[in-house]
Amino acid sequence: METLTLSELNGRVRSTLQYTMPDTYWVQAEISSLSPSGSGHCYLELVQKDETGRKFLAKAKANIWKGIWMNLRPKFERATGERLAVGMKVLLAVKVSFHEEYGYSLVVSDIDPTYTMGDMARRRREIIERLKADGVIDQNRGLPLPVPMQRIAVVSSATAAGYGDFMNQLDSNIYGFRFRCRLFPAMMQGNDVESSVISALNTIAAQRDSWDVVVIIRGGGAVSELSCFDSYDLASNIANFPLPVITGIGHDRDDTVADTVAFMKVKTPTAAAEYIISKMYDTAMELENLARRLGTSVQERMNAQKQRITLLSQKLPSLFAVLKVRQEQVLERAGTRVGNAVANLMTARLHRLELLEKGIAAADPATVLKRGYSMTLCNGHALKSASDLKPGDRLVTVLADGKVESEII
Amino acid sequence: MKYEEAMKRLEETVTLIEENRLDIDQIGEKVREAKELIKFCRDRLYETDEEIRKILGSDE
Repeated sequence: METLTLSELNGRVRSTLQYTMPDTYWVQAEISSLSPSGSGHCYLELVQKDETGRKFLAKAKANIWKGIWMNLRPKFERATGERLAVGMKVLLAVKVSFHEEYGYSLVVSDIDPTYTMGDMARRRREIIERLKADGVIDQNRGLPLPVPMQRIAVVSSATAAGYGDFMNQLDSNIYGFRFRCRLFPAMMQGNDVESSVISALNTIAAQRDSWDVVVIIRGGGAVSELSCFDSYDLASNIANFPLPVITGIGHDRDDTVADTVAFMKVKTPTAAAEYIISKMYDTAMELENLARRLGTSVQERMNAQKQRITLLSQKLPSLFAVLKVRQEQVLERAGTRVGNAVANLMTARLHRLELLEKGIAAADPATVLKRGYSMTLCNGHALKSASDLKPGDRLVTVLADGKVESEII
Repeated sequence: MKYEEAMKRLEETVTLIEENRLDIDQIGEKVREAKELIKFCRDRLYETDEEIRKILGSDE
């Protein structure tokens, strides 16, 4: 058996590897630690876990030298919107290397961002499926729209670019709507986004009656680090939140899980403010509409009453006229009847008078005398019997046209 | 009173008047009440002049 120094042995391992594995391989792995060094190189720890995710099946160190890292990093971040981070699945082009002093490692020459993006999408789908199974995926979306939407709990960072935009947009709304906002500070970048946003949400939930709506906002950047919003815990918090949550976390790509479960998702903080203003506008319009309806209906009701009164007052004279005509007719008829009665009465009287007159005329001695009769008077009295006479009596015979005196002999 | 409650009462009053379900004698009182509700709601939605002056003042 040969005896070798350690460097001689390691040297043989090195040359054996170089000889038997000279190619470049694409290798799938998960990043378990990451330390970009001050020198500009990037040192990685790669792992492969079993299906449960608890047990390691393989481990290896990997190095991305400065010259490669300068190109790979922007390429990766542009494509995925993410920085390389712990827990991320990556597909790396590597060469196997062995160094006598530092041992086994992989030297990275390329990275395929689509693999990482595919993995992130798969994780998003898994979280969404889990939230669906929990029965909470539509819970926040299903909350009633707050009316009015004007007390706003803002989850953001005071230094975040989008926060100022949001506040300016609200404050300068042209309608003069009143808004009350308070910032509940949270980290919007880095490793603590998830925990600090959840903590801010908890603070708001404790005073939920003081707020109408929650907005989670952050300005966009070249590297949007959306994966922190693809978290089950954060999304579950939003889905279960008792107030509507609006997300405006500055991105144009596919929705994060937080966006998916939110009450409303917009692209930017400015758009979040515009959304809130538009909801307030709807509320104000509804009010003005009612005010207008009130005015119109009261006006209509009053007009109808006025018309009724006018109509009645117009009807009165004509009603009186009809009444008058009718009364006049009655009177006229009565008058006619009285007239007729009087006339009849007069005729009857006249007739009787005529009869009387005729009777009287017939009884007049003159009339009898005219017919040839005569009347004999003796001592001024009408002579009715011959036996009353004695010789020497003087008689006056009255005829129609004169008197004859005679003497009894 | 909550804004939504005020709106609900306002809506009811307007409907009553529109559907002619109020006596003329009742309308006056109801309209007065509705006007107060409208004022209440408007005050809730909009900044008062005083508030605006305060905001503008704080910028100076």
